[in-house]
Amino acid sequence: MFGSSGLRAHAEDMKLEVQLIWGTNDDQSPDKNHQPVDPDIKKRLKELPLKWSNYFLVNRKRFDVPPSATKREPLSEKCSIEVKNLGNDSIEVTQFGKGQQVWKGTQSLPKGKILFLGGKAPNETSWLVILKRIE
Amino acid sequence: MSEKDHSSADDPALVRAAQSGDMAAFEELVARHRDKIYGRAYSMMRNEEEAIDLSQEAWVKGWQRFKQFQGEASFGTWMTRIVINLCLDQLRKQKRQRTESIEAMDEESGGVERQMPVVTANPTAGLERAETRQRIDRALSQLSHEHRTVLVLHEFEEMEYKEIARTMGCSIGTVMSRLFYARRKMAVLLADMKKEGLR
Amino acid sequence: MMDHDEQLKIQAYLDGELSETEAREVAIWLAQDQDAGVLLAELRNTRQGLAGYEQPVQLPESREFFWSKIEREILRQESPQTAPQIVPWWIAWRRLLMPVGGTAALVLAALIAGGLLGGSGRPAMETAAADTGALTYRDDDGGNTLVWLSYPAENEFAESQPASTLQ
Repeated sequence: MFGSSGLRAHAEDMKLEVQLIWGTNDDQSPDKNHQPVDPDIKKRLKELPLKWSNYFLVNRKRFDVPPSATKREPLSEKCSIEVKNLGNDSIEVTQFGKGQQVWKGTQSLPKGKILFLGGKAPNETSWLVILKRIE
Repeated sequence: MSEKDHSSADDPALVRAAQSGDMAAFEELVARHRDKIYGRAYSMMRNEEEAIDLSQEAWVKGWQRFKQFQGEASFGTWMTRIVINLCLDQLRKQKRQRTESIEAMDEESGGVERQMPVVTANPTAGLERAETRQRIDRALSQLSHEHRTVLVLHEFEEMEYKEIARTMGCSIGTVMSRLFYARRKMAVLLADMKKEGLR
Repeated sequence: MMDHDEQLKIQAYLDGELSETEAREVAIWLAQDQDAGVLLAELRNTRQGLAGYEQPVQLPESREFFWSKIEREILRQESPQTAPQIVPWWIAWRRLLMPVGGTAALVLAALIAGGLLGGSGRPAMETAAADTGALTYRDDDGGNTLVWLSYPAENEFAESQPASTLQ
């Protein structure tokens, strides 16, 4: 008989999008490739207690994580993110910087929710990595 | 005590009410004494943000320790002691992180003030009250934290040497040296301001 | 020329910190030593100048706003579910809010009033333990979780070209 495990596995893959964002009070990014973040992300960022007025998209990746699997996605030369699908909309997230683990945590990430990781960058700017589910 | 009674109640009544859990009574006490507590924190920290944070923290601690307040001092004095201790803790933490300047270390060892010439004229004589206050405030801001603290505790909180030593966690001898330096430095600073005013 | 101990004795005399016997001895000395008398006068002038002349200051926040922060912290600390915090939340998050003092106060007040930082079913503002170096802000209603890391603060991204560090 046909096994159903393959179908089940694909159906439970977690589809994710990760974005690397630069936060600043400058009107433009010095890098012309950087575009302002999507309106929905901008709106979400405004809801957070952050002080920057403008956010620019530096990189965007989409990837699937099967159940119990771990996927690592580089976002820049220096940073990457690793996601483990724990099932039940839960993930374990590990942020790497210069090859070193910077942060690790377990989060519930159902559809519609966004996880933001962030920190300070030079000249009073900030970096943000956002992780969200996509259909 | 009903809410409208709070504004007309005296401090001891509010304290009794707050000690039995009446937070509205405590809120009235906060409203009455907040400027004084903030002012004391500001005089020690000379930073608005820090003074706000520390005075907030003092109020939270005051609520937590309320049962220990027996009325041995006025409520305002009791709260002032709490904020002073918080400020001193913060200053000690900052001192561990700060690089000491040579002048600051020399101030501590007590060498600098012996070389200051004695100021013979009264530097605040003939000044309007508001101007005196401004000059004193400017001069205070030029002292180091340690010297300003001992001056504030002695001159404005009217603490004795022994109590200052206990509060600051140092010897009476250190209190006396710091107070002496602070006063001599203030005299010089105020005299300089007077000279500026006359030009 | 007076030594330091003698100078301190004059000060202690002025401040009423000497015993009766010591005070009498110092009074006699002051009457005979001009330099000592001049120093006493300076110290007295300074003390009198300061007495009662402390600059009054006003706390630069409204009664309601100031109290709301205190009340929130009291309730938070009294809540049995709250894990011990390292610092009060307003200190942990102050730096992430808009930097101008008055504006920061308005933002915080708006967030509190809008239920984003208090009230029912609302974002928990947690300070993580110091060893993780992270602050977590969770807004269940808005669907946002923000984890603010204290590092790589100045190292990972502390390059000369801020944008290029994110490439």
